Amino acid sequence: MSALLQNISLIGDEIPWLGKLRQKGREAFAAAGIPGAKTEAWKYLKPRELDADDYVFSVSATPKSVDALPFDSYRLRFENGRFCPEGSNLPLQAEVVPLVETFMDKEGRAPFYAEQTDWIEKYPFAALNMACLNEGIFIRIPGGCRLDKPILLDCHICCGGENLFSALHNVVVLEGGAEAEFVEYYHYTGEVKSRYFNNIVNQIFIAENAVLHHIKVQDEAFKAAHIAFSPVCVGAGGRYESFCLQLGADIARNETKVMLNRAGAECEVNAAYKVDGWARADTTTDIEHLAPCTISRQLVKGVIGGQSKGIFQGKIHIAKDCIQTEGSQLHKALLLSDGAEVDVKPELEIFADDVKCSHGAAAGELDQEQLFYMRSRGIGQEEARQILIEAYLDEVISKVGNEQIRAWIKLLLHGE
Amino acid sequence: MSKINHIADESGDKYKYGFVTDIEADTAPKGLNEDIIRLISAKKGEPEWLLDFRLKAFEFWQTMHEPSWAKLTYDKIDYQDLYYYSAPRRKAAPKSLDEVDPELLETYEKLGIPLKEQEVLAGVVAVDAVFDSVSVATTYRAKLAEQGVIFCSISEAVREHPELVQKYLGSVVPYTDNFFACLNSAVFTDGSFVYIPKGVRCPMELSTYFRINAKNTGQFERTLIIADDESYVSYLEGCTAPQRDENQLHAAIVEIVVLKNAEVKYSTVQNWYPGDKDGKGGVYNFVTKRAACRGENAKVSWTQVETGSAVTWKYPSCVLQGDNSVGEFYSVAITNNRQQADTGTKMIHIGKNTSSKIISKGISAGFSNQTYRGLVRVAPGAANARNYSQCDSLLIGNNCGSHTVPYIENRNRTAVLEHEATTSKISDEQLFYCQQRGIGEEEAVSLIVNGFCKEVMQHLPMEFAIEAAKLINISLEGSVG
Repeated sequence: MSALLQNISLIGDEIPWLGKLRQKGREAFAAAGIPGAKTEAWKYLKPRELDADDYVFSVSATPKSVDALPFDSYRLRFENGRFCPEGSNLPLQAEVVPLVETFMDKEGRAPFYAEQTDWIEKYPFAALNMACLNEGIFIRIPGGCRLDKPILLDCHICCGGENLFSALHNVVVLEGGAEAEFVEYYHYTGEVKSRYFNNIVNQIFIAENAVLHHIKVQDEAFKAAHIAFSPVCVGAGGRYESFCLQLGADIARNETKVMLNRAGAECEVNAAYKVDGWARADTTTDIEHLAPCTISRQLVKGVIGGQSKGIFQGKIHIAKDCIQTEGSQLHKALLLSDGAEVDVKPELEIFADDVKCSHGAAAGELDQEQLFYMRSRGIGQEEARQILIEAYLDEVISKVGNEQIRAWIKLLLHGE
Repeated sequence: MSKINHIADESGDKYKYGFVTDIEADTAPKGLNEDIIRLISAKKGEPEWLLDFRLKAFEFWQTMHEPSWAKLTYDKIDYQDLYYYSAPRRKAAPKSLDEVDPELLETYEKLGIPLKEQEVLAGVVAVDAVFDSVSVATTYRAKLAEQGVIFCSISEAVREHPELVQKYLGSVVPYTDNFFACLNSAVFTDGSFVYIPKGVRCPMELSTYFRINAKNTGQFERTLIIADDESYVSYLEGCTAPQRDENQLHAAIVEIVVLKNAEVKYSTVQNWYPGDKDGKGGVYNFVTKRAACRGENAKVSWTQVETGSAVTWKYPSCVLQGDNSVGEFYSVAITNNRQQADTGTKMIHIGKNTSSKIISKGISAGFSNQTYRGLVRVAPGAANARNYSQCDSLLIGNNCGSHTVPYIENRNRTAVLEHEATTSKISDEQLFYCQQRGIGEEEAVSLIVNGFCKEVMQHLPMEFAIEAAKLINISLEGSVG
């Protein structure tokens, strides 16, 4: 891993803001290193083993073929971590461009947003991503604009013999009253012989009364590492709704940090995961209520089979004087096999008295009575289990508002 | 007659145990090194194996770092600036209470523990009192001995029952366990020892009373309780310290071994000096308490009421090794002014069909900060483990903080785990309802708080519960309005 940053050569280092950001990322990553079991925030995932492998950046981005759109949407296609114009179609009523195109634009707003990185020291992988700042997209939805179709960030990996490293950095800005749907989809094709590492940062800014629906599906290869971090700022009356489904990868983490900065800001952070084999899937949230009258809700459900491990770490922080706030959080996990493990760490940190906060966590196995009920009606053991598992996750999937996307997620979950 | 009988006396001064007893003390020089440890060991006339245990612990301690993960901020402790041994001076070990220094007895009288009277009055509680570093008196020995119950200071147990002490000391909390436990293992000076033989239901409640008196003295006591097969004991613990401007250190260990079909109930009312309203002074309380349910159907229950200490760092735990064993934790923690508490429990499920229950109620007021930190871990072999946790927090005022950090680690699919936590303030409706009926605001708050804690209080022994309820009211005095 250490060799990666030494061998890196990126264009644009001479652009002052860009060079400075990359430098900041390099320094923060060098200071923190790859966290191991002793670092509280990473104690369950233990990603230090990633350090053992060497990774290279992919140079070319020529897909053999581009698959059809899974649902009606705009699309930005990334092949092995590189933007690929084939298969991409962009909306006209909003500014949606590959990040590299913003580097030279002196009038552009991208640097203003990208530079907001107070958190960088606490997030080593986000720092690594920043050090490699190059690929990604910049989305700016102008005030009052309501995008007619979702924007799909289609990240496809087709791995060769080398360990591939991809650092995507997306900046999503919704100006006052705007509304958009942003979908991330990580998948692969072919037999993946080597490891690959997808390192993602999404900087999201939601201005007053704007609404972002953020959906993510992580369906990486079983050898992959996938570590994503989304810092989200929500303004007055703004709303951030997210849903993340994690299905694959060996080491995976989806971390969301929501800062409810102004009164009336709301967020709903939901997630589901279904893991098998030796996978480790981590869902981490950090909701900061920084203004009075803010609301957050979280529901996370997981199904854990094989020797795999499900991790949920959720934090609700309520700052001083942020009264009339509400925060709720619920995590439930289903353990399917003897080797499965679930580690949960919900956390409430509250410095104001007039608040309503709760969290809950539960873990157990499939209800034998429900299985028996189905079997006694002629449904086979495997099929009955599958139905029950899908029904279990349906509680959270049904919170996805867009019908087409919901149907697509259910299909993926069903394994088709 | 409980030892904290007078703790909640409605006197004007909020902390009425702030006095200092002027008593001649035998004190070892300041600082911590091998010689001090040898000195402590020699003073107590300890056997070689115990000195070895201490030295090994000390050696290990020097490689350790003070933990910083708890949500606590306090001035760095200078471990070389403390006295590690301080004992009330006396000529020979007292055989009965008549030989105990009258000054000492008076101190305990003031604290509401009339040791002397207890010899005469028909009481229900046997008391072991620990003053600074040594146990000064243990009552009701003879009566307990009839049943074969051993209740004495740990130094005495080392002399008279070395085989039991050697077998169990450090078996639940090894000296490598954590920084403070390791320090305690090196320098512990006294504490209580309890052994309940097979099949015996201890006829009375056993009680230990801890008091720090001397200036700049750390108190390091060590309690070891062994409940043999089919036995039962209920054990109470209370603590106070004088009011001083500098902080005092208290690092204790409680080890409990519960064998087949035995049950131990351990109740604590912790009322160390909390410091004044600006956070000056107060006891630093770093305690390791752990019970091991080694046999089948063993049961252990921790009940704690935490109102004192400037800083509390305490996680009474249950290691459920035996099949069908049961662990319970009931806690009320109240912090006011500048107090900080980071407390909770650990439930480690190892045996089959083990179950545990956690009820934690936290109340923060003033500028205080409180954290519930708990762990529920289910090992791969702990089939059908069951846990229920409930952590409720109440905030009084807008300057305090309340935090909840439960860790849940499950490695068995048949385990059923549930956790719930809520945080809220006293609702205006409840207050209004009380005030409308002529109950003053402060009284109404204490009524509501007592209701909030009821689930825990009902697990305290009767006389403890009444006093603990009063203690809660005192702790919250001045936090409203």
